[in-house]
Amino acid sequence: MTLIGQRIPKIDAPEKAAGKTRYVHDIDLPGQLHAAILRSARVHARLVRIDATRARALPGVHAVITAADVPDQRPIGVAKDHLPLKRDRVRSTRDEIAAVAAESEAIAREALALIEVEYEDLPVLTDAVAALEPGAPLVHPPIAGSKAGAPVGVAGKSDNIAMRFDYGHGDVAQGEADSDVVVEDTFALHYVTHCCMGVSGVIAEFDAKGNLLLYSNTQVPFLHKREFAEYLGMDPGRVRIIQPPIGGGFGSKLDIYPFEVIAVFLARATGRPVKLVFTREEEFLASPTRQPVHLTLRSGCTKDGRLTFRSVRTIHDNGAYTSWGATTPFVMMQTFSSLYRVPHCDYHTVAVYTHNPYAGSFRGYGNLQATFAIEQHMDQMAEAIGMDPLEFRLKNAQEVGEVTGQGMVFRSCGFKECLTLAAERSGYTAKRRAYAADREHDRDARFKRGIGIAAMLHVGGGAKIYPSDGCGTILKLDDFGHVTLITGASEIGQGSETVLAQLVCEELGLPISAVTVVNNDTDITPWDVGVHASRTTFIAGNSALGAARKAKAKILAAAAPRFDAQADDLDLSGGCVVRKGSGERLTDLPRLLRSLHFNDRAELVMTTFYYEPPSVHQDKGYKGDVSAAYAWAAQVVEVEVDTATGIVRMLQVTGAHDVGRVLNRLGLEGQIEGGIVMGQGYALTENLDVVDGRIRNPNFRDYKLVTAPEIPAMDISFIETMDGEGPQGAKGVGEAPAICIAAATANAIANATGVRITSLPFTPERVYRALRGALPPTQPVPLAALPEKAAA
Amino acid sequence: MSLEIEIGFTLNGVARRAKVPVGMSALTMLREVCGLTGTKYGCGEGECGACTIRVDGKTLASCLMFAADCDGRAIVTIEGMAGDPRGQALQRAFVEHGAVQCGFCTPGMVMQAAELLARDAHPDAAAAKRAIEGNLCRCTGYQKIVDGICAAAQALDKEHAR
Amino acid sequence: MTMEAVQKYLAPTRLEQALAALGLPGGATVLAGGTDLMPQTHAGRIRPAATLLNIRRVEGLDTVEVDGDHLVLGTLVSIERLRFDPVVARHAPLLADAAEHFASEQIRNAGTLGGNLCNASPAGDTLTPLLALDAEVELAALSDAGTVQRRRMPIGAFFTGPGRTARNADELLVGVRVPVAAGDAVWRYAKAGTRPALDISTIAVALAARRAGDARLTGVRLALGAVGPTPLRATGAEALLEGQVLDAARARAAAEAAAADARPIDDVRASGWYRRELVRNLTQRMLDDVARN
Repeated sequence: MTLIGQRIPKIDAPEKAAGKTRYVHDIDLPGQLHAAILRSARVHARLVRIDATRARALPGVHAVITAADVPDQRPIGVAKDHLPLKRDRVRSTRDEIAAVAAESEAIAREALALIEVEYEDLPVLTDAVAALEPGAPLVHPPIAGSKAGAPVGVAGKSDNIAMRFDYGHGDVAQGEADSDVVVEDTFALHYVTHCCMGVSGVIAEFDAKGNLLLYSNTQVPFLHKREFAEYLGMDPGRVRIIQPPIGGGFGSKLDIYPFEVIAVFLARATGRPVKLVFTREEEFLASPTRQPVHLTLRSGCTKDGRLTFRSVRTIHDNGAYTSWGATTPFVMMQTFSSLYRVPHCDYHTVAVYTHNPYAGSFRGYGNLQATFAIEQHMDQMAEAIGMDPLEFRLKNAQEVGEVTGQGMVFRSCGFKECLTLAAERSGYTAKRRAYAADREHDRDARFKRGIGIAAMLHVGGGAKIYPSDGCGTILKLDDFGHVTLITGASEIGQGSETVLAQLVCEELGLPISAVTVVNNDTDITPWDVGVHASRTTFIAGNSALGAARKAKAKILAAAAPRFDAQADDLDLSGGCVVRKGSGERLTDLPRLLRSLHFNDRAELVMTTFYYEPPSVHQDKGYKGDVSAAYAWAAQVVEVEVDTATGIVRMLQVTGAHDVGRVLNRLGLEGQIEGGIVMGQGYALTENLDVVDGRIRNPNFRDYKLVTAPEIPAMDISFIETMDGEGPQGAKGVGEAPAICIAAATANAIANATGVRITSLPFTPERVYRALRGALPPTQPVPLAALPEKAAA
Repeated sequence: MSLEIEIGFTLNGVARRAKVPVGMSALTMLREVCGLTGTKYGCGEGECGACTIRVDGKTLASCLMFAADCDGRAIVTIEGMAGDPRGQALQRAFVEHGAVQCGFCTPGMVMQAAELLARDAHPDAAAAKRAIEGNLCRCTGYQKIVDGICAAAQALDKEHAR
Repeated sequence: MTMEAVQKYLAPTRLEQALAALGLPGGATVLAGGTDLMPQTHAGRIRPAATLLNIRRVEGLDTVEVDGDHLVLGTLVSIERLRFDPVVARHAPLLADAAEHFASEQIRNAGTLGGNLCNASPAGDTLTPLLALDAEVELAALSDAGTVQRRRMPIGAFFTGPGRTARNADELLVGVRVPVAAGDAVWRYAKAGTRPALDISTIAVALAARRAGDARLTGVRLALGAVGPTPLRATGAEALLEGQVLDAARARAAAEAAAADARPIDDVRASGWYRRELVRNLTQRMLDDVARN
């Protein structure tokens, strides 16, 4: 019986359910010290004086370091603007000023309180638009005497622009001319944060040879290894990363953060292993957020319902330092250019330095923000031309074989099927009309129901943004038919380990219990770029399959002469070598493996495979078929709005997902349910309250994650489009389910109340205000504020 | 130097003694003094449920409890669920129903769900959700945890029917 | 580390011992369930005194009983017990309903009635219903002769500000007395929030009254939580309702008056404006419901 499509429990679930799993927090190395970080008390200030004398004198303290103690430190991050220990000024309340290594965490934190810091306050800039104005204070002012070409973290820069992106296909002016309806709105997307249940932590140790061992929660171990080596001036071969099981990732661990580098500095300074674990408050304060986006979208269509153009300008508050949040435009422009058929599109965005906390990568990576805007406009345009919103979407949804303006090739495509199925199963069309009628007839009703639909497009076969988007696998079978699958792909709780084992076992005709997966040590595993872009099932899956197929071919080639058959006539099934067709069992696999091993021409079955997806790098205009496959989903959200309080209850989410092929049905459902509830939080309950550069709610009491009684009923369907390149036809889904919930919810609230809200979150007070016209309107992104494309 | 208190308590059925700083939480004691890392630090403020343990038959947040207050009490942690029929049924059901992803919230969920089943042998989904309202999960969206709790209740029923 | 200052830890079993400890030099910080004390000390918001006094083992402080026409609740009664105890359900259903919406089971199991009252958060879930029920607190101290002296105080006078009560440093809150609900009692409780429980109230409204055969309301108490420095009585609204028959117009007027009685601030959870809107809307819905039933 096939394993594909079955409900397969996660391989590591029993251990986790028993509380036996050792996360980084649970690991203690002999002789280890505990570290704690002193963060800035000010938003923007000159560091006049740091005096650690009393801290150093505290019994149990082994080291206190500041920037002065690590003159060789280099700036980290994609824009190299981020020194781990801040030198002469602090630019945000996250800024790391000093760090302590001590015998215990309690002593380390006590020592922090003994470090004296004298600040000289500087003007605070927390508005990205203001930061673009001429004469605005510079977040990274140029440093006199710097070498040309030196990174921003060392040399500063003469403006507040961290990054800019400009994209276009077709001719937007032509598109506007072709339009019968044009809508323009400004959307404001807020700060939220990952809230992984396991807080950030790291252990750093230098061994007797001076090699660095890091116990890290990183989602990109090989990139991490290379970057650490670079920052420490070490040979990358002498850096080893071990990944303990992680208490949640969701994209929060794709970058290098100061705390890890600081732990390494302390390990170097003390000659002891150093363990650094955040408090939850620190996790809220110091972890990167989702990228907040201020977005003006102009969309057009003809009166017979064809989309004509999209014109987008956005400003991203980059915060004080650049992390992956600044690169969300890569993903956003894919959505703007290619979600539905759009002949003309342009997109301009600027990431602007401010003194706010910086954003990183977070499940969906800009797609939630872009979809929120696009899908509201789809409803608005449909209404303007008097067309049913589902029909309008179906009219513009792409089909198999289409190539978008950005060059994405849709080799497998279940877009229309997703829309149709989600609408059908939810009763969308009839309910939408009924709720709209209720709205008209019973304006004073306290509880109003509404239903809304939104679709999404995301990469489903990796994303070729690094020189390689590949993954390596090493496979071995032992004398007993037990398989060790050594993969570069990390497990971040999403179940990749189980899916890879499933693919291999399917190929080799073995039960899941026959596989051990090794995936967490860069000294052992082959290279993988990392867990991001929903790529792991697709790319690591194909890699594992490649190695498994080689192993199978080797086994059958060895078996064939023993049974007077051709290798092509044989198969592996039920732990045996069998004849195809009849299914006759010829020998059990372990016996065959032993006979291969214990003979004159001894052979072990060990294979390797590196899978590089056939995608391409984008050109300088961001065009290109950047993924090996693309995935779609449509979600219908039904809500009930309490007009007396503004509370929005999410009653039901009906989703249809183009997954290519269902591999582990249990794991897939779990990913989607979790993503839906994450989307629910983004839409309704979560808000990181950043005011004047400070986070006012760094705790679970006031940052509200969705709790169990609040979840909607969830109806999830899968569309199997059998992608030709995907492993067994599967595509990636890790990010998809979170992406269109907020958009569908906005449409549902509009259906229920007649009020369209273009800013998140839909928390009770904001919805209450919106219903009474008391929500401050969003301000259009000033096109004039976006400076001319900077000279290279 | 912090004042230290000598206490005696049973931990997962075994009597033991400890000497703990007066300000130490039960959570820290369990993890660092007793070496049981199954109970997790999630927030330190009783808002997330990751540190849930059972004390004298009732669940509470060990991060909010003073270690000194463990004196004379019967404490059960996730490690003690190995010998508990409800705990076993829940762990099996959680595995089978996909209720575990990153697993960080899982020990607290098992502890809290076991408390529910001790009180209510036939919870419906709504009762299960209310019971874990103080246990946050970021990965699963709770649905499969609720499924697992209800399935465990049914499995226990079948056991008792025999 | 704030706990460095603690020199003595006591866990007495008798009330006299506990009260004696309050008089020790350097003062005493009272520990019951710890659900407020632990996070407050860790955050540095409370500096513990020289003695940490754990009263959880003091005998006789966790009873629930009826004494004539009063329900008497011991200070150590857990919130979870308030939720499920049949005696509480029969005689003070408003309190049981508030306990239903309190935090989470883990917090309810450890949290005590006395702890919730002495923490005196304006959003404290037991405070508002007890104010509406005309409850009294009972405080105990040790006399010079070493005997236990008790005094009672209406709960409205007990709360003196956010986090502040009229408890003297040498006193312990030992119990709460709630007049038993009469046969014609009417009560309602509403708490605003997206979650059934784990939510610091944006606002809470508690109504207690009596309604005789002629449908007039008497003894009307309307208490509001999280809209002032302490839970407060909406006396303007009460005056409009007292002795009257409730209809839609009166409900609307009383709701407006309640909103005017509220004194909310802006904070990270909500604006004062929104809190007033909630008071008005929830009070009106509550009163409409009473009028209909």
